Amino acid sequence: MPPIPAPAAPTPLASIDALIAALQTVGYYADRRLATAVFLALRLQRPLLLEGEPGVGKTELAKALAQVLGRELLRLQCYDGLEQREALYEWNYAAQLLHLRAAEGRGTVEEAEREVYQPHYLIRRPLLQALQAPAPGAVLLIDEVDRADEPFEAFLLEYLGEYQVSIPELGTVRAVATPLTVLTSNRTRELNDAVKRRCLYHWLDYPERERELAIVRARVPEAPAALAEQVAGFVHRLRSAPYAGHFQRAPGIAESVEWAKALVALDALLLDPEVVQSTAGVLFKQREDVAALSTELITEALSPEGA
Amino acid sequence: MTRVAPDAPARRSLLGDARRGKLADNVVAFGRALRRAGVPLDAARIALAQQALQCVGVERRGDVAAALEAVLVSREQDRAVFRELFDAFFRDPDLAHKLLAQMLPRAEAPAAPPPQRPRVREALQPPRPPGAAPRTQPDQSVDLDAAMTASERVRLRQADFNQLSASEYTLVERLVRDIALAVPEVRARRTRAGWRGPRVHWGRTLQGAAHSGGEVMALHRLQRRRQPLPLLLLVDVSGSMERYARLLLAFLHAATRQVQGQRVRRDVFTFGTRLTDLTAAFRLSDTDAMLQQAGGAIEDFAGGTRLGDSLATLRQRHARRLVGRRTLVLIVSDGLDTGEPQVLARELTWLRRHTRRLLWLNPLLRFDGYTPSARGAAVLHRACDGMLAVHNISRLHDLARGIAQILKT
Repeated sequence: MPPIPAPAAPTPLASIDALIAALQTVGYYADRRLATAVFLALRLQRPLLLEGEPGVGKTELAKALAQVLGRELLRLQCYDGLEQREALYEWNYAAQLLHLRAAEGRGTVEEAEREVYQPHYLIRRPLLQALQAPAPGAVLLIDEVDRADEPFEAFLLEYLGEYQVSIPELGTVRAVATPLTVLTSNRTRELNDAVKRRCLYHWLDYPERERELAIVRARVPEAPAALAEQVAGFVHRLRSAPYAGHFQRAPGIAESVEWAKALVALDALLLDPEVVQSTAGVLFKQREDVAALSTELITEALSPEGA
Repeated sequence: MTRVAPDAPARRSLLGDARRGKLADNVVAFGRALRRAGVPLDAARIALAQQALQCVGVERRGDVAAALEAVLVSREQDRAVFRELFDAFFRDPDLAHKLLAQMLPRAEAPAAPPPQRPRVREALQPPRPPGAAPRTQPDQSVDLDAAMTASERVRLRQADFNQLSASEYTLVERLVRDIALAVPEVRARRTRAGWRGPRVHWGRTLQGAAHSGGEVMALHRLQRRRQPLPLLLLVDVSGSMERYARLLLAFLHAATRQVQGQRVRRDVFTFGTRLTDLTAAFRLSDTDAMLQQAGGAIEDFAGGTRLGDSLATLRQRHARRLVGRRTLVLIVSDGLDTGEPQVLARELTWLRRHTRRLLWLNPLLRFDGYTPSARGAAVLHRACDGMLAVHNISRLHDLARGIAQILKT
């Protein structure tokens, strides 16, 4: 392990509290556990693997961190069939071919090859860009890593372990400054243990009621206080014990924020079963779930006491 | 750098003083206990945990817990175990030491163990010698004349899957060799170099060009690879299927090994009155080990059939395994469902919408001219893309051939 660099005094890196406060200024309300994990990822220079239900703010965290740390955000969206040339680098073949054409007849084959394989002709993809980002380093978001296939994971293993890649024609590229890497996974499959061992791990839960309220207030400032309160309470209840069983997918934070916006747009001042039912499509994206949100269930979940 | 200030005696109370090595000892002991509770850990992790504690300091208990959790836990299902163990371990230093002493083999005066879940309790107890309690398993007799009726009762029975006998083993291996399961392939998103295909493999082409002085002599292409479809196997282990279950699972395990080798998803569930996930068991390469684990996992062996409810569980808990709507579902069941046909119909419709093909292998049919008229069978018949009825599957051979045949359709 390299020695841990001493941070400058007022940066968000100084302490966990400073990190929480800094994240709050950009509208991300992290709880202390999450902040501790992020703090450690920064200090120990380890990648952070975030798992959790969709819509709990995994991707948002990386964005907020980039803002807070003043670093560039590089995002690699994983998908089935993602290959190294889309993730790491690719040669600009068309330009190389033009170069070869122009240089035709001059010099030997070896010279032509040397001229063509210049950094100049390299198309840098996110993983390489993250290595070459200048001094404070970048925030590298590897989103939905469970969607990529296992060979890609094996490649990632090497990358995350060493933060260096070798390009046969150019040599080894080492990280200028270790990027803060955030991996997110929706758990469509278990990740390889070896990859997990490289990472710090944090399971992101749905926020508690107060934190969700703070998020809704911050994101939808135009919502009346009572409405925001009701939205946070209602969504929170839908996710908890007796109600959650009715639905395939509980609404995430993103959904509650969207819902609050929708309610504001409809000039709703307070929630009633009718309003909830007519806007259910914002909360739930599956027909079965929308159907499960019956009037009785809404009335029950809206009632002030009972949970 | 360390954040443990040298002049703060209060901070030493929780974990001891880092400089004197007590903290290190405690973290190591805690790591050992975690490992015993089944949380995968290695020495590097524990070293990292110590670094992490130096970063966050030990003033706040919550921070210590969060830091250790971020480092030591890497699976969602381990979090509860971690928290309980952490509470038991670091409640106060005295208790921690008591527990530490308790963990040593031959420890005397066992302190009252906290009322925790069995895994945690076991981890805090001195290790038992391996192989202490061998399970005796009665022989599984194959009685071909048993009446094939589905039990209405919810009968809970552990499946006693013996390991394969030598003759069974050779039978399974021979079947796998002789009867190739043709898992349909699709073109994958990934590509490989080739001569056909819409995209040019510029790297290869340029390499060739460089060798001929910049003259492109041939265009190399990117060809899409082919890969087998992800598989979802649903195997009926209810009373009427009882006799086939063990060898059927053995065969499916051995026969889909190649699929596993190509790193394609293979999810396996058994159902009777409930759904059992055997995916992890199928990942074991040894068929005997798989059978043993499966036997331990299946709790509704030889009971009734509630396919509808089992599918509902699949939808609620494991829906995300059906990624990309290209899974090939193979249901091996006699269709003697005792659940509500409406439920079954609804769940099957859902399953169909989320997968590529739904195939049903029906091994009940002892009689020629059988039509799927039983309630569940009729529903299954309507919902499936393909149905194959195997008459007289007294031999595994016929069953295996049936599976191969239906996969070809």
